[in-house]
Amino acid sequence: MRPDMSVVWILFVSSVIVLPAVALLALRWALRNGEFKHLQKTALSIFDEEEPVGRMTDRFPDEPQGSQAHEP
Amino acid sequence: MSTGSPSILRSFSPAYTEDVAQQRALLAEIDTSCRGTLLLFFGAAVVWLLIGTVFGLTASLKLHWPNFLADTAWLTFGRVRPAHLNAVAFGFASNAALAVSLWLLCRLCRVPLMHAWVANIAGVAWNLGVAIGIAGILAGDSTGIEWLEIPGYASPLLFVSYALIAIWGVITFRFRRERRLYVSQWYLLAALFCFPWLYSVAQILLILEPVRGVVQAAVNWWFGHNVLGLWFTPIGIAAIYYFIPKVLGVPVYKYSLSLIGFWSLALFYNWNGMHHLVGGPLPAWLITVSIVASVMMTIPVVTVGLNHHFTMWGHFHKLKHSPVLRFMVFGGMSYTVTSLHGVLLSLRSVSEVTHFTHSTVAHAHTGMYAFFTMVMFGAIYYIVPRITQLAWPSARLIRIHFWASALGILLYIVPLAIGGTLQGMAMINPDVPFLAPDKYSVVTMTLPYLKVRSVSGFIILVGHLAFATSFVWIVARWLKAARHRQASPTTSHV
Repeated sequence: MRPDMSVVWILFVSSVIVLPAVALLALRWALRNGEFKHLQKTALSIFDEEEPVGRMTDRFPDEPQGSQAHEP
Repeated sequence: MSTGSPSILRSFSPAYTEDVAQQRALLAEIDTSCRGTLLLFFGAAVVWLLIGTVFGLTASLKLHWPNFLADTAWLTFGRVRPAHLNAVAFGFASNAALAVSLWLLCRLCRVPLMHAWVANIAGVAWNLGVAIGIAGILAGDSTGIEWLEIPGYASPLLFVSYALIAIWGVITFRFRRERRLYVSQWYLLAALFCFPWLYSVAQILLILEPVRGVVQAAVNWWFGHNVLGLWFTPIGIAAIYYFIPKVLGVPVYKYSLSLIGFWSLALFYNWNGMHHLVGGPLPAWLITVSIVASVMMTIPVVTVGLNHHFTMWGHFHKLKHSPVLRFMVFGGMSYTVTSLHGVLLSLRSVSEVTHFTHSTVAHAHTGMYAFFTMVMFGAIYYIVPRITQLAWPSARLIRIHFWASALGILLYIVPLAIGGTLQGMAMINPDVPFLAPDKYSVVTMTLPYLKVRSVSGFIILVGHLAFATSFVWIVARWLKAARHRQASPTTSHV
């Protein structure tokens, strides 16, 4: 094998093996940490009492900021 | 923490009022902790955006007006074009991406930005590195390697400052108060991990100890494609996954789909780069593996697309009211389009027509502008009023910005994609000459499309000027309010 071709192998190994391996380790951690349980709760974790579900949090500055903020 | 709207009974309870007050105090604390750092990054991003747009427009004009600024060495096409790429990619896009990532991580981890001065120093160093790099490119020191044109004397500064910011992101994550990981955090952490890895490997193999021959091209496109897919794309998707539900006030359509999207991107994307070398003198299996992985990308793209678009389902009328939503939805739709277009372009039968044509340029701008840049604009429109506690000064300027950017980029992409494909068909037709001034040739047939591209560049520039005016205006108001507060500290303001 020519020396430069070894670089292709390094790239191939790092891309196809090392990075997916890191991804799989992270996946294992996530599974053990219970990250895939109660998914609906996780989807709601970006909301809180200050910015709850049902409230739009952005409007053009020339529109009344309070109107239609809460929706059913 | 509550997981939805409070019940009426709970709303009347003193504990609820306390909860709201605590949440408000926490959000205010987080936003305030990020303010100086984010304004530094966003301010630099706006400056680079204007510089990069002018370079891009200059390069575009030169393609159909070759005498334009042709007598000045540092303004020749070979220097202005890479100066444009680096100013928008590492100047605008990376500054915006780093700032949005830090803010999102702080918000999602529910912790203030710690020791912000470290991030500030890293931010100054990053921008210094970009400035030295672009000056070097204009001076003729470009490395000549696409996406890595910044000369070797500037890149260590970029690497160190980036690594510092990435470490800061990880530290913020380490001290998180919210134990539950939202999908945006997965994307952000992956992006912060991937860029230093990609950049350092590419720098070593291409700049410090350069490999030669076709291997150089292989390393170049391994970096060039991954910097898009593992640095900019995850941050764009992370932002969309946060801002669309947040602005609408509805959770994401199917959270489980978002996880499939993330993990399939993490597993498949980094194999994609070699499809840029279809037809090149590389081992055929290497390119085939890359094409297969490119087609596999349909899985994350479709899952992300379904999630974004179905979250919006029934809420499209709200686009009229929210500037952030407009930019985010435009960006989300562009992500679906550019990714599926990319899958198509990776196929050998398509690539043999479109490769080395303007069609590739149209595709790149669908990804980097119509998707990523529009998402960053939306994020900036959401974040800046929260960190300054001020509303944007002019709704008209925001509308001008949105329409100029949206229509400008559509006018850029659609004609250029069509013109590029026709150009490719002409290039593989032996009856069509490459250059013949008075008849149909590869060079002359592209001219109308290139002129339309320059017109679109002017329209986009108008949008960017409106955006820059808004940004300078709101920062000036904030500085004025801050001075006023210092002068009369006991009075409450804003």
